[in-house]
Amino acid sequence: MANNAAGSDDLFQRKATGLLRGWSVWDGFIYAAFSINLITLGLYAFSFAPFIPTGSLILAVILAGLYLVFQTVTYASLIAVMPRAGGDYVWTSRVLGGGIGFVLAVTGWWFILWHWVPIYADLLNKDVLVPLAALLNLDGTVTFFSGATGLFTASMIVAVVASVYVSLGMRTYARIQKFCFYGGLVGLAVMILILLFSSQSGFESAYNREAQELFGAGGNAYQQTIQAGSVETANAFIPTLLLIPFLAFFNLYSNWGATLYGEVRGASDFRKNIYAMAGALLFTSAAAVVLLLLFAKTFGWDFYYAANNAFWAGEGPVSVFPYPGLLVAMILGNPVLQVIFVAVMSLWFFGWTGSVFLSSTRVVFATAFDRVLPEWVSRTTNNGVPYAALLLMLIPSIPISYMFAFGENFATYVLDAVLVIAITFLGSTVSAAVLPWRKPDIYNASPIARYNVLGIPLITVTSVAFGGFLVFCLLAWLFNDTYGVNVGSSLIYMLILYAIALALYVGFRLLRRAQGMDLNMVYDEIPEE
Amino acid sequence: MISRLFSREPDTRVFFATDIHGSETCWRKFLNSGKHYEANIMILGGDMTGKALVPIVEEGKGRWHSTLLENRREFENEDEVKEFEDSVKRRGYYPFRTDPDEMSELEADEDLRNELFYKEMLGTIERWMHMADEKFEGTDIECFVSPGNDDQFEVDEIISSAKRVQLAEGKVVEFGDFQMVSTGWSNRTPWDTYREEDEDDLAERLKKMTSQVTTPPEKTIYNFHCPPYGSGLDDAPEIDENMRPKHGGRSIVPVGSTAVRDAIKEGQPALALHGHIHEAKGNTRIGNTLCINPGSSYEQGQLLGAVVNLDGKSKVKRFVLTSG
Repeated sequence: MANNAAGSDDLFQRKATGLLRGWSVWDGFIYAAFSINLITLGLYAFSFAPFIPTGSLILAVILAGLYLVFQTVTYASLIAVMPRAGGDYVWTSRVLGGGIGFVLAVTGWWFILWHWVPIYADLLNKDVLVPLAALLNLDGTVTFFSGATGLFTASMIVAVVASVYVSLGMRTYARIQKFCFYGGLVGLAVMILILLFSSQSGFESAYNREAQELFGAGGNAYQQTIQAGSVETANAFIPTLLLIPFLAFFNLYSNWGATLYGEVRGASDFRKNIYAMAGALLFTSAAAVVLLLLFAKTFGWDFYYAANNAFWAGEGPVSVFPYPGLLVAMILGNPVLQVIFVAVMSLWFFGWTGSVFLSSTRVVFATAFDRVLPEWVSRTTNNGVPYAALLLMLIPSIPISYMFAFGENFATYVLDAVLVIAITFLGSTVSAAVLPWRKPDIYNASPIARYNVLGIPLITVTSVAFGGFLVFCLLAWLFNDTYGVNVGSSLIYMLILYAIALALYVGFRLLRRAQGMDLNMVYDEIPEE
Repeated sequence: MISRLFSREPDTRVFFATDIHGSETCWRKFLNSGKHYEANIMILGGDMTGKALVPIVEEGKGRWHSTLLENRREFENEDEVKEFEDSVKRRGYYPFRTDPDEMSELEADEDLRNELFYKEMLGTIERWMHMADEKFEGTDIECFVSPGNDDQFEVDEIISSAKRVQLAEGKVVEFGDFQMVSTGWSNRTPWDTYREEDEDDLAERLKKMTSQVTTPPEKTIYNFHCPPYGSGLDDAPEIDENMRPKHGGRSIVPVGSTAVRDAIKEGQPALALHGHIHEAKGNTRIGNTLCINPGSSYEQGQLLGAVVNLDGKSKVKRFVLTSG
């Protein structure tokens, strides 16, 4: 009965349900790396760098990557203190209160992810559909997916793919993600090798050739691009810091990875979560730096910045997004290899797509289990498919995608999509900072209770540091025109989403009270004595 | 329908918690939960016993040391040792004082460790039953406890000897107009625990028990430790042959019992109470039956539970999952 095989050497364990051996940090790393997603999110975020040309993009990636280790320690700490809690909603609602937890999580993990469907679709178009169509010489398809109808179509593809992943269940999705990660890594390695062994002049001639063949851009398209989007670059420090809020589009999500914490586990599981999340963050940041250096070497830094700048300005000889995967494919020359390469790189997108609905369905479930939302939203089929929660994601995403694609101003309303997620993270971060005082019994019983910095709990130190990062980004987004998200209509729209969440909370709370079930019972602590 | 939605007719209020695994804090909270939630029926599902022994080793001259959660601690007086023992109990582990010689023997001898586990587990349950008898004396609270697959059989005898706690395992028990059948037996697990068996045998066991119920479904409760298969209340991390979570714990698989699922489908009780899978907190419906697994956070000293108002109608509508 008794054994020590499943645990540490400092206690004796018996055989009992649920006692597991340690989990693999590598697995945790894979899923965290996928959440940050250098290829899908990073390359898109980097394309905004020309808007602050006097900052150093590479230095900004390094600084943000290093600083966001605070985020990984904060989330690893929350997991260690309240394992199996299920994420931001539970942490915030238990520490700061049910209303705050509900409003922040429902807005940041449910409502806002309806709006991420067309954003994912935009990435699908830019990184996969348009490059593939161009390489296959399907000019009509390129035009289609570059337009409003194409964006709506891609949104529906994203919604369907994400729904299928959720329907298949976590077991299958975890395997799909792993396959996509390894496939994507192969693509990334090939990309690095091609960039490493290609010269700038070789790229220039390849670009000119392919721009002519694929997009009908005559003459020296390479030089024309530089002329169209040329910016004066520099490496000043403050502008470098101001690039970081752009990068948050990609590097803020290491906490979406595996967050496991076993029973009868100690500080080692805490460290494992840090290793997995911070490892993924630092690896991805390092890979980003390598890629950017190789872009500078092979594409030419002026060209890389100019291509992005020209694209966003709607100028230049080539009208499609300068997706580096497509630019590298151009070097390959062979159409078959080009298509295979872009298809392999698309695994970064398809392995990640499920995230648009997956976390949301969990939040919907958690709020339903707390009886804030009605019971029916947590219904599943006999096969365990959370169809009600899935429909609550899928159905609203359709008209929102439609309005995003065809509406005159709607796209500007969703500019604050990252901002809303950051506010949700800020809620968890504040919860983490005050946790040692708000929930002293739970905190003191945790394996991290002994970690202090100058007498201050480590969780408080790291969460204040991470909170500072979030506040910096929020202030930048709200008050600096450069980011293009401080649009009044967008802010009002987001406030309406928060108001709907608040109304839902108050309404269901009153309803439950009328039914004789006070929702205070959900969070109230029972006295021990 | 609208009037029922807002109905505040007096109900039978039940508080259910499960899988406290030796946590002294959770047991103390459980004893207070009836008063706290204004529930006069209290049900504790299975797996009351802890999973780990924590040695506190004497170094001589009044000094001791121990390691908890991989943090080594040293103590210089009795008060410090006692405080540490309390923190160990709080997490559901059993502290015991020892010396280096005995530690060497324990490390080498599995039988000796088993003996110590038995002594600590059964001693704790016995003490807990005394606490319950004192706590519920003079109250109208009815408390039912049924051990789970992780609890050895001797636990039943100790619970049976309590005055104010009723052993529910394998029986039909009554409160008000309701009848409840309970069992801590589960389908097979990778841990080869005390109360587990093949699905066919479990189905037979459940059939024998449920056939003794004489109340209509709307006044019947199944308290089966093991959750129904594929209900979402049985989702656990998939593990490999070395008992390691696959895919960083992201691969989730159903591990519940098909026999339990079939029994609920057939009997359609108003309420089915489950535990066993700590991370699978939630509620679902199988037909009209409300199935609940409140989950467990025993190591954190949080008593996860469910408050359910039973009104004798076919569908239980009023309930809430708690984290007290």
